[in-house]
Amino acid sequence: MTAADSVLTRPRLVASGGLTTLRRQPLIVVLGVMVAAFQLSTGSFLDPANLRGIATDAATLAIVAVPSALLVISGYLDLSVGSTLALGGLVGGWLAGQGQSPVVAVLGALAAGAAVGAVNGVLCCYFGLSAFIVTLGMLTAVRGLAQQLFPLPLSGFGTGFAWLGGARIAGLAAPVVVAALVLAAGALFLALTPAGRHVFAIGVNREAAHLSGIDVRRTPFALFVITGVAAALAGAIKASVLDSVVAGTSGSGFELAVLTAVLVGGVALTGGSGSILGVLLGVLFLGCLQNGLTLLDVPTFWQQMAQGSALVAGAALAYFAPRAAR
Amino acid sequence: MTTRRFATVPSATRRQFLAYSGAVAAALTAAGCSAPPGAATATRPSASSGARLTKIGLDYPFTQLPLYSTLVKLSTAGAKKHGASLLTTNDGANADTQASNLTTWVARKVPAIVSFPMVFEATEAIAKAALDAGLIWVTYGGSLEHQSADIQFSFRKGGTLLGTAAAKWAAEQLGGKGKIAFLTDSTIELGRERTKGMIDAFTELAPGVDVVAQEQAIDPDTGLAKTQAILAKHPDLNLVLGVTDAAAYGGFKALQQAGRKKDDARTFVGGQDGSAPSLVAIKQGTFYRASAALAPDDIAHAIVEVPRAVAAGKADPGVEVPIALVGPGDTAAIDDLLAQNG
Repeated sequence: MTAADSVLTRPRLVASGGLTTLRRQPLIVVLGVMVAAFQLSTGSFLDPANLRGIATDAATLAIVAVPSALLVISGYLDLSVGSTLALGGLVGGWLAGQGQSPVVAVLGALAAGAAVGAVNGVLCCYFGLSAFIVTLGMLTAVRGLAQQLFPLPLSGFGTGFAWLGGARIAGLAAPVVVAALVLAAGALFLALTPAGRHVFAIGVNREAAHLSGIDVRRTPFALFVITGVAAALAGAIKASVLDSVVAGTSGSGFELAVLTAVLVGGVALTGGSGSILGVLLGVLFLGCLQNGLTLLDVPTFWQQMAQGSALVAGAALAYFAPRAAR
Repeated sequence: MTTRRFATVPSATRRQFLAYSGAVAAALTAAGCSAPPGAATATRPSASSGARLTKIGLDYPFTQLPLYSTLVKLSTAGAKKHGASLLTTNDGANADTQASNLTTWVARKVPAIVSFPMVFEATEAIAKAALDAGLIWVTYGGSLEHQSADIQFSFRKGGTLLGTAAAKWAAEQLGGKGKIAFLTDSTIELGRERTKGMIDAFTELAPGVDVVAQEQAIDPDTGLAKTQAILAKHPDLNLVLGVTDAAAYGGFKALQQAGRKKDDARTFVGGQDGSAPSLVAIKQGTFYRASAALAPDDIAHAIVEVPRAVAAGKADPGVEVPIALVGPGDTAAIDDLLAQNG
């Protein structure tokens, strides 16, 4: 092929690649239609202030959804992220409240998350216990630990810690920048590293992966630890944004939001397939839906029905559309 | 602003129960918390009458709430003063677990049980069994047909106090004009009562203020997200009133993130519960200006003293725990509440 041929065929290739992406990620179309509908009906959905609000809200979900998606792709899952988020926020907030520097506070939170993730990882990857049972148990146990350690609400963490949730970096809220970095890291990890390919291989067939020389314990163990760290980071960010955290209620139900975003984003619960682009779309789908329904003044119970129906429809589309395309 | 230091308020309804915050709503919703509308209270003297109580069982199902830890701490200390120990259950906001734990206590013959029923109808049979076994049964946050006494709360009153204070502020500071958003709860009876009291009082006293939104929110995360969305449509929003302090605190943060100064003279945020972060914000003179608060000391006192009064054979031993509005001028009351919260 000559250089001229290459230039002539590139747009076609790009168009074809775009179509393929649309076929693989039908949620792009759904999201586009939803955004257009919300904008037309409210007139304020695409206002910069509103978009900033959606992005900031969605950031913590994205930070946890990315490593959670990697875990699901590798055939595991982590249901303890809601409680880990609370523990991370409490440890970070408490350290900040004790006068520690924000860096120490955040590192303390991350250490707490890593510890939870390591326990999950050891029990699931090295002892072979069911990830569903282990992380469900940890969801309760970590919540109990958090309430025992911090029975009363914490607040007033100081201006240094507030930076984590309130600072602007190049015009973007700090949590959004962190989420963007996590998304980019997740995508690069999956696409460009051998370990990323191992994640898929383990998820498709653990035994075959083992026979191929892949360490089927170390990679998922690392993902459990990273998921714990990410949940704790999200907790620290939430504590910073709200300048308060309550052990009993912080992050309650968050694990379901994460799992929903991951599954709506097209990651197979059975493992072996999924993408970070899909996770991003799942996170944005949830964020835009909740925000749009609020802007439309939809009554509470109708909002719940609409959210539930949209989630089922989105998940069905993510599941069936790629098959139809084949 | 109308401020009253924990004065006793008249009874509003029998379907009342204790202050709450955060994400408890889902669990409560599933359980359908409320006393049956027609529940006629028939108190009965217990076989324990006249006896000295050595054990008091506190069955408070919402263990995830900060208030739970505070109440256990204060009630344990209160019981100890009288030579009694406090037993607790771990219901995990689950009505089935609560029923199982209460049945166990009745079988173990715990002499006095103070129970906050998640489903009043479902608890009736257990309360009857407790009375039949000669135990003392005190219903917390409502009334049952079979009980020795009850501990009541006036939640509509809390909403009314907050709505009234906000309307008065709107008249004085905004000339009776402006925009308000309510963060409400329609999922449980307590939430509905607080919501109704708040909205009815405000809209009646400040008819010139536009109600631009009524959104379900009881926790800070949801309060933040909902208020952010409301602000996108109504950037000139003046007031946010919350059914809980937790939700209102989320609104408070959303307004600040939208660029509102902490002490903006044309902004009012208020909530209900008397939770610590909100009380601190009020004390600091921010635009978080009011909270309808219950005093944990009063509740803990009732948890210990009502069953003791029943055991002592006192007539009409039930109590209603008072609620009061605290504002920026109530520094002593705020300090007192913060100290009680630990």
